[in-house]
Amino acid sequence: MVAMTTTALSVRGLTKRYGSRVVVDHLTLEVPAGVVAGFVGPNGAGKTTTMAMLLGLVRPTSGAGTVLGHPLDHPARFLPDVGALIESPAFYPALSGIKNLRMLATVGDHDVDRIPALLELVGLADRGNDPFRSYSLGMKQRLGIAAALLGDPRLLILDEPSNGLDPQGMREMRELIAKVAADGRTVLVSSHVLSELEQVCDWLIMIDSGAVLFAGAVADFAADSDAALTIATTRPADLPKLRQVFADAGHLVELGDDRLVARMHPGDLDAVAADLNRAAFDAGIVLTELSPKHTTLQDRYLSLVDGSTR
Amino acid sequence: MTHVIRAQLIRLLRRKTMVLAAVGATAFAVMAATTVFSSAKHGGAGLGGRAVTLETLAGKGGGTLAFATAASFIGFFIFVTFIALMASEFSGGTFRALLLRDPRRLRVLVGQVVGILIVIAGIAAVAELLTFALSFLMAASRGVPTSAWLSSGGAGDAIKNYATVLAGVGGWAVLGTTLAVIFRSAPLALGIGFVWAGPFEHLVANAWTTGNQWFPGLVLQSLIAGGTNELALGRALVMGLVYVGVAATATLALVATRDVTA
Repeated sequence: MVAMTTTALSVRGLTKRYGSRVVVDHLTLEVPAGVVAGFVGPNGAGKTTTMAMLLGLVRPTSGAGTVLGHPLDHPARFLPDVGALIESPAFYPALSGIKNLRMLATVGDHDVDRIPALLELVGLADRGNDPFRSYSLGMKQRLGIAAALLGDPRLLILDEPSNGLDPQGMREMRELIAKVAADGRTVLVSSHVLSELEQVCDWLIMIDSGAVLFAGAVADFAADSDAALTIATTRPADLPKLRQVFADAGHLVELGDDRLVARMHPGDLDAVAADLNRAAFDAGIVLTELSPKHTTLQDRYLSLVDGSTR
Repeated sequence: MTHVIRAQLIRLLRRKTMVLAAVGATAFAVMAATTVFSSAKHGGAGLGGRAVTLETLAGKGGGTLAFATAASFIGFFIFVTFIALMASEFSGGTFRALLLRDPRRLRVLVGQVVGILIVIAGIAAVAELLTFALSFLMAASRGVPTSAWLSSGGAGDAIKNYATVLAGVGGWAVLGTTLAVIFRSAPLALGIGFVWAGPFEHLVANAWTTGNQWFPGLVLQSLIAGGTNELALGRALVMGLVYVGVAATATLALVATRDVTA
């Protein structure tokens, strides 16, 4: 039975302990159906363990949840609609890519006729008959994604698919993720580098030390980001005076070694820049630099992680 | 479970594997027939402590006696093969990959073991037939009459020999899988299995002959040989079933409850 739901994944208080070590700590989150969700956190944050619990490989110490509307502790009910690549791609080295996929398709009772199209999709059509052990790391990851797609899943769970890839391989992986998500399936993809994912994700879950730091739409995360203006003058000695001028104009700025830095909401950047420029001009101080700097999602993510570890 | 078995057959029934199996079966048949027939004497003791004499070779089961006698020595090979194959399933992550397609763990594990055993059963059948054919040649060279081999009683003995070999091989397969599941590391499981079933059991049994009746490896060796002077077939079968039952229960319990982290 296919459970129709607008929430692809939902977990409440999901916890995994190994002895006294807490790997996942009361994780509560939801992933709406149809989004590409980036699951971001530093190495050891608990991403893989969380994904393994979502796939029935690891049993939670406590907590509950649903995957595609089915309880987490009944993986047989939802796994036919889930494709996954978790940890490293695991295949039989002596078998060709095609035979490895045939094996997995047979176990899952999937249509083996889909294999050529899947190899084409992941860019391995011309290497399908080569043994898996002859594949490069990027090719192995792509074969892993082809395997995950064997059952034409509604939910795709990918654990660090770009891990170890060169920049070209990472770009190809992002394009592949965007391609497989275009069919409307939900994708949960993990990485320890947000910049790898921010171009393809519309939903973000950030965790560290097994706990959620942020969960929501990328747009909401970006809206919380700030921007900055860096200001320099012809005479650094004027900086304290300029700082007072800006304060009188209602703008608090920080004094650096040879610069002033004003922080603001990204939407206010242009107006504040004009205001500061005018105030400096009126005070008779010539500016040599008034440059905007947007805080990237990666900066904000790192500041969140830093904050959580303090 | 048939899906998992079919998948295993896709993996194993490859040209390279089949060529290796054919070479192995042929080498086994040549070695078994030549060794057993050339070492057999009138009324003397043969290999493995079992009475393999020119007279027993002339009996109705003589055509497959070489197969059964030599097969008792390949149990250890089956044991280490299963350890290596199954442990690499865990350490290499392929067991995990199969569980992502079918999360019913016990079905996947049993299907994998059965799939390998089906292939081994096929290879054993070929090896028995080849040994039977080569035994005719060897019988002629040793002056052993073969008329009883082709009787209905001879066919019955051939089937019985085949069945006991398969039963023993199945036992070794379960024990090997148990070690693989416990340790999930091929080098570690192989090391422990090798030391236990190799030197340990045999050295202890040399000093304490009752060990032949109790050590699991030696029990299975006796089972494959169709019984030995130290352990009759019936008792070997019962004890083998007990060991296999305990090992299988422990293995299935571990697989069912343990996290799959590799």
